[in-house]
Amino acid sequence: MSNTLTGARASDASALFISDLHLQAAQPAITAAFHDFLDRHARRAPQLYLLGDLFEYWAGDDDLIDPFNREIITALRRVSDAGTAIYWIAGNRDFLVGADFAAAAGVTLLPEVFVTEIGGQRLVLVHGDAQCTEDINYMQFRAMVRQPAWQQQFVAMPLAQRKAIIAGMRENSRKDQDAKTMEIMDVTPQAIADLFAQTGTNIMIHGHTHRPALHLAGATRRYVLPDWEPDATPPRGGWIAIDGAGVITRHGLDGAVIADSL
Amino acid sequence: MTKVIITTNKGKMVAELNEQLAPKSVENFLAYMNAGHYTNTIFHRVIDGFMIQGGGFEPGMKQKPADATVENEAKNGLKNEPYTLAMARTSAPHSASAQFFINIKNNSFLDYPGQDGWGYAVFGKVVEGTEVVDEIRKVKTTRSGMFADVPAEDVIIESIELAA
Repeated sequence: MSNTLTGARASDASALFISDLHLQAAQPAITAAFHDFLDRHARRAPQLYLLGDLFEYWAGDDDLIDPFNREIITALRRVSDAGTAIYWIAGNRDFLVGADFAAAAGVTLLPEVFVTEIGGQRLVLVHGDAQCTEDINYMQFRAMVRQPAWQQQFVAMPLAQRKAIIAGMRENSRKDQDAKTMEIMDVTPQAIADLFAQTGTNIMIHGHTHRPALHLAGATRRYVLPDWEPDATPPRGGWIAIDGAGVITRHGLDGAVIADSL
Repeated sequence: MTKVIITTNKGKMVAELNEQLAPKSVENFLAYMNAGHYTNTIFHRVIDGFMIQGGGFEPGMKQKPADATVENEAKNGLKNEPYTLAMARTSAPHSASAQFFINIKNNSFLDYPGQDGWGYAVFGKVVEGTEVVDEIRKVKTTRSGMFADVPAEDVIIESIELAA
C-alpha cells in the first residue's frame, strides 16, 4: 500500500464510511471491490457505516431470496458476526430496506439525520439526497416515497410488479440526469448550512452526489463519499475513516490516503 | 537559503527553501527531489484564489508511492502568504510526505494553529517565475476519479533541481 501514513491505516480506524456502491449483479467488479473492502478493512474496524445506495435498488425485504442480494447479505453478516457494528442510513435507491433485511445482515438501521460522536468528534451523517433542495421534482418524489402509507401500499404489490416499476423509474432517472444541470443535482449550500446549524455539528459525512471531496467552509468540514467504479480510468471508489484520535482521512480503493485536508 | 528550479510545462519557477526555519521540511523536500520523485508529477489540485497542489501524482492521476513522512513544522512562524510553498498532508498532523502546495493568496487560516491545532508548514517561497504560478492557477479544471479541481490538461513538473 502506498502512502501509509501515521494514524491513517484502516486497521487503526474506529469507524469506516462508504456509500453509493450501487451493488447489482450486472456489475461484478464493484461487487468484488466491496468484498475486498469488507475482508481487508471493514472486518478490522469496530464500526462500519453504510450511508446509502449500497444497492442499486431494493424492491422490498421479500427480495432477500434473490441470489445476488443473499450474497451481499451473507458478506455483511460475516463482518457483523466477527464483531464489527454495522450501521445503515438509507439512500434514494435502497430506502425500502426494512427490519427483515437488518436482521439477516446484522445491520442496525439508523434514522436520518443521525448525529454521533466518534474519536471525540461530533458529526452528522446523512445520505445527501435530502440536501439537493433545488431539485424540486426529486424533493416532491422523495416526500411521497418516504411516507409509511406509500411504502405499505408499494410493498403490498407483487415483487415482480415492483421490480418493473423500479426499472421504469431508473430509466426515467437516467434521462433526467442527462437533462438537469450539474448544479441542480448537487447539494445546495443553504441546505448544508441549515443541517450544520440544526444539529450543532461542524463535521458532516454524506454521499449521493458522486462528487467525492472535502469542503471547508468557515469552521465546518463536509466530507463527500465517492461512488464506486473500479473499472473506470482513473478508478473511482473508496472510503472515509476516523481513527481513535478523531483524525478523519479519505482513502482510495487501494487504501491510499488522499492528502487534501487543507 | 537553498534555491531550487521547478521546471513545468508552463515555464520555470525558482523557489527559495528556508532551511533555517523549516529544516526538517526542507530536508524532506530535497530528499524526494534527489530521489527524482518529482519528475513527471503534476499539479493535480488547482483552486484559483486558494492554492495549487502537486508533487504526488503522475499524469493520469496515478499516485506515486511516497512513504517517508515529516514532522509538521507549521509552528516556525512562516506564514501561508502568496507564492509560499507549504507541505500538503492528510488530516493527520505529521502525515506530509512528498506533496506540497503553493499559496495563491493569504491563507492565514492554514497558519499554526490552523483549524485543527496544527496548521500547515511553510518551508519556502517562489522568488522568480511567479507568473508561472499565476498561469497555472487559471487553468481549466475538472473532476477526475476521486478528485475535484484537477486540471483538464496536465500541468506537469518536468523536474525540480538545485539552482546553480
